[in-house]
Amino acid sequence: MKSVAILLAIVVMNFLLIRLAPGDPASVIAGEAGAADAKYIAQLREQFGLDKPLTTQLALYVGGVVTFDLGWSYRNQRSVADMVGERLPATLLLTVSAFVVALGVGIGLGVLAATRVGTWADSLVTVAALGFYATPLFWIGLMAILLFSVNLGWLPAFGMQTPVAMAPADRVLDVARHMVLPVLTLALFFVAIYARLTRASMLEVQDMDFVRTARAKGLRTGRILRAHTLRNAILPVITFAGIQAGQLVGGSIVVETVFAWPGIGRLAFEALLQRDYNLLLGVFFLTSVMVIAFNLVTDLVYSMVDPRIEVGS
Amino acid sequence: MKEFWQRYKRNKGAVVGLVALVLIIIVAVIAPFLFPKSPWEMSGAPFQRPFGEYPLGTDMLGRNILSGIVHGARVSLMVGIVSTFFAVTLGLAFGALAGYFGGIIDDALMRFTEFFQTIPSFVFAIVLVAIFRPSIVSIVAAIAVVSWPPVARLVRGEFLSLRRREFVQAAVVVGESHMKIILGQILPNALSPVIVMASLMIASAILLESALSFLGLGDPNMMSWGYMIGASRSVIRQAWWMSTFPGVAILITVLALNLVGEGLSDAMNPRLARKGRA
Amino acid sequence: MTEPLLSVRDLTIDLPPGSDRPHAVEKVSFDLHENEILCLVGESGSGKSLTAAAVMGLLPQPSVKPSGGELIFEDRDLLKLSEDEWRQYRGKRFGMIFQEPMTALNPVMRVSDQILEVLEAHGEPGGPERVMELLEAVNLPDPERLKSAYPHHLSGGQRQRVMIAMALALRPTILIADEPTTALDVTTQAQILALIRQLQSERQMGVLFITHDFGVVAEIADRVAVMQHGRIVELGAKEQVLEAPMHDYTKRLIEAVPTLDPPERRPLDRAPTVLSVKGLGKTYRTQGGLFRPRRVVTAAKNVTLSIRKGETLGLVGESGSGKTTVGRCIIRLIDSDAGRIDFHGVDLNAFRGRALRPYRKRVQMIFQDPFASLNPRHKVGDIIAAGPIAFGTPKPEAVKRAQDLLGLVGLDPGVIDRYPHEFSGGQRQRIGIARALALQPELLVADEPVSALDVSVQAQVLDLLADIKRRLNLSMLFITHDLRVAAQVCDRVAVMYRGEIVEQGSTGELFRHPTHPYTRSLLDAIPGKHWRAKRA
Repeated sequence: MKSVAILLAIVVMNFLLIRLAPGDPASVIAGEAGAADAKYIAQLREQFGLDKPLTTQLALYVGGVVTFDLGWSYRNQRSVADMVGERLPATLLLTVSAFVVALGVGIGLGVLAATRVGTWADSLVTVAALGFYATPLFWIGLMAILLFSVNLGWLPAFGMQTPVAMAPADRVLDVARHMVLPVLTLALFFVAIYARLTRASMLEVQDMDFVRTARAKGLRTGRILRAHTLRNAILPVITFAGIQAGQLVGGSIVVETVFAWPGIGRLAFEALLQRDYNLLLGVFFLTSVMVIAFNLVTDLVYSMVDPRIEVGS
Repeated sequence: MKEFWQRYKRNKGAVVGLVALVLIIIVAVIAPFLFPKSPWEMSGAPFQRPFGEYPLGTDMLGRNILSGIVHGARVSLMVGIVSTFFAVTLGLAFGALAGYFGGIIDDALMRFTEFFQTIPSFVFAIVLVAIFRPSIVSIVAAIAVVSWPPVARLVRGEFLSLRRREFVQAAVVVGESHMKIILGQILPNALSPVIVMASLMIASAILLESALSFLGLGDPNMMSWGYMIGASRSVIRQAWWMSTFPGVAILITVLALNLVGEGLSDAMNPRLARKGRA
Repeated sequence: MTEPLLSVRDLTIDLPPGSDRPHAVEKVSFDLHENEILCLVGESGSGKSLTAAAVMGLLPQPSVKPSGGELIFEDRDLLKLSEDEWRQYRGKRFGMIFQEPMTALNPVMRVSDQILEVLEAHGEPGGPERVMELLEAVNLPDPERLKSAYPHHLSGGQRQRVMIAMALALRPTILIADEPTTALDVTTQAQILALIRQLQSERQMGVLFITHDFGVVAEIADRVAVMQHGRIVELGAKEQVLEAPMHDYTKRLIEAVPTLDPPERRPLDRAPTVLSVKGLGKTYRTQGGLFRPRRVVTAAKNVTLSIRKGETLGLVGESGSGKTTVGRCIIRLIDSDAGRIDFHGVDLNAFRGRALRPYRKRVQMIFQDPFASLNPRHKVGDIIAAGPIAFGTPKPEAVKRAQDLLGLVGLDPGVIDRYPHEFSGGQRQRIGIARALALQPELLVADEPVSALDVSVQAQVLDLLADIKRRLNLSMLFITHDLRVAAQVCDRVAVMYRGEIVEQGSTGELFRHPTHPYTRSLLDAIPGKHWRAKRA
């Protein structure tokens, strides 16, 4: 329910932003066609429905979005929905892999640091997390290319696959090799966040009464850690991961630009270069939808791990 | 105040961060005296390696990279501080009203906040800057617009819990006005986490600005670190230094701000700090 | 006497450097025997809980650690055990229950699993059937249904029963109970005390029972050790310590416990009525969401009461009975949704916002928590003067008056420039009283004003309140869960149960001849009700 409302608000805002974008599409097209006479422009305006009242236009726009019509890219002479649609799988591959890596590694490192508070392992994790938290994604990407592609030549620096024909099994391997640098680049920043959060959360839960109860029961340290401390400490990390979904998607724009990854982030960069606002707002809409979907998934996961949230009752 | 400094000092990283931050601020302030020439102007042969005639080399148009970095510090700090100021002001107002009055006001304001928190902030900032044309004003405004929701949520949470505290109820009972209670009773007690958050927000605003100008959305009249990296990334195979040094500048500045933020947090919540360090 | 089960010898526990004293516990010695309950009693900061934690090997190391003495159990010194060896004792030989049942259980794990865990950890056979037996043994209703229950499905008393089931799962030799009933309502407390007593005698356990409450001591102890500033000042059989205390500190503590015999009071029938509440109602509604059902809680229903000039009306009840809601409706911190609140014949419910201001100064409030009720960032003088300043008194005059008030509540008038954290709990409560008096009110609403204080401080604050009330001829609504306090302070008492007043009358009459069954069960549940502390 809430998600639908937010989605609708995003559609409306998208519409307003398109109106605010510089250059009336009709005059842009007319300009490109080299025919700037008033009659032609008026005709175009009528064709695009730009002469109708704003509310009617909004209704038309909303109706369009509902049927997956995100408008027309005048620069590329293609439907925006088609363009973002064909780029979506690449972006999903990148962001979902990065998210899984970030969550797994981040929580692992956070637990490691929390169980060894004050040791060199803790200091190492803490310092590394601070560092990666302060580094811009695009710069990490560039430095990674410099080191692993240019100097060491271990991994490919650009694209999602080698543009030659190969067997399906080789293709999977090829894509995997191309994925390593972009996924790690995107993940590192979030590894830093989740590691810090997990560490802090673990330390907080460690002092709670029920952990003392577990000790009073004579449980083994490992058991206390898994069944009691971690199980509770992970809850705020999940919540935060949901909130961070937007940042992950935003980060993919930069990472795709650096690594020429053929996803919607790269598409957004191309739209920026071409000043193609319809396309840019199409990307914006799609990323918003991704974030909402992401939030729904984390909410669902949360309600599964926390029995205090009772779904549907 | 003295006690505060005592506690701050205990966090060694925070002291290092503070020293670094002060140095960066000094450099930013005296940049026009260090390098009176515009950083956009050609100053020597292009593609000069670092540690030679120019300490950090020159770029493909022969511009002095050190001069660019020093002038870029002004832009980064300015964007970070001004946008954070507006974001914090907005967040404080929204959060305070929602948390204090509750009910319908809270519901309405929080729906609004939730909306802004759901839309992917970086993409939204790109869209705003692109549509309103890249300029220092549109960049600062876009960063402020996408960064206030966490402040609003934090302030609302603080206000909600402080609102129920007995000293606030006592102020109601002795007849203080809403305004006086919000500003005199609750706000001073809610401020320390906001200050900590603000210092971290300056850091993320600097990161955000650098990413925007990396994508070519910087103010065309202002030299910025992100722009320097973005402009030279196509020649990274031949000239590593052009994109490396501005990145180091971002890293150090943002790290310093984060360290200071942690130090402030430790100094303001002595109980929490001890927990983290055991 | 037989060999003791546990022998504590000269136990000393260090506090971290920079604390207000070097040792939390200093040279404490006592024996715990088979089939006895030893109560360790003392005020906050006396070191009683740390002593219990040390016996269980659960001190918050490394900040607090034992630095001397021995804990002899079956010829071994427990202080020399490694963490691994400790595990063989904890849960198996020693069981422990804690104060806060709401936080002592893991919120995301089924309670049956939490009990099962103890059995598994010590390789005990039986599994789920044993868990069922244990749940039955602690008299939990419907053990079958509890199999899938999480802690948040249970009430505080039920959770404490689960804790007991867990602690006793492996038939430990010794049970350590750290204030196990302090967070519970009085009727639940009586049941849990009875359960501990019953299980203890069935199993011939030695129980180390930590408490601050002499009523509980009278109810449950065989022997008593009184602690002060980390030392045991008196140790002996219950009768001897309670009836003929030797040490001055013990004498003072016992004297401070209010008796259940209400003193004679002169009737106030002819005094004018200050406050008259009729048919007051308050219902809380939480908005339902997609995943949440709507909830409606009736906090107060058809509450009718009145207070005469110079009279103290006690509003007693257990948590959730609605007594605090009624107090806050009267002080107009929350809006009631039915009924009248007549103050000198004017219905306060008819006013909102600014229109209420003239009445604000005539009705004032004293709060429960001396730490939460003073703004930590304001100076004491400003806190007390805030009311008069809000009503237009010039600041210098208001501050002068604040100084006088500090003198009135027994504090040095020179402290107006200090901040609240520089004061103890009792002193802060005095400041809160001074703040309430600053506007020269006619009616005071006191919401559990002494329940956060230690018993000796509690007695002083109650004396102060009585003295001020008499001197200024104030009326007071005194909200409390503690029937002992109510017996001493109130002229009349109203008993609340589930949002309604079930009985009200003069204190002496109500305590001697309760008519409503709930009042009777409440009075029955008071710990140590048969013990009458001797007055000096």
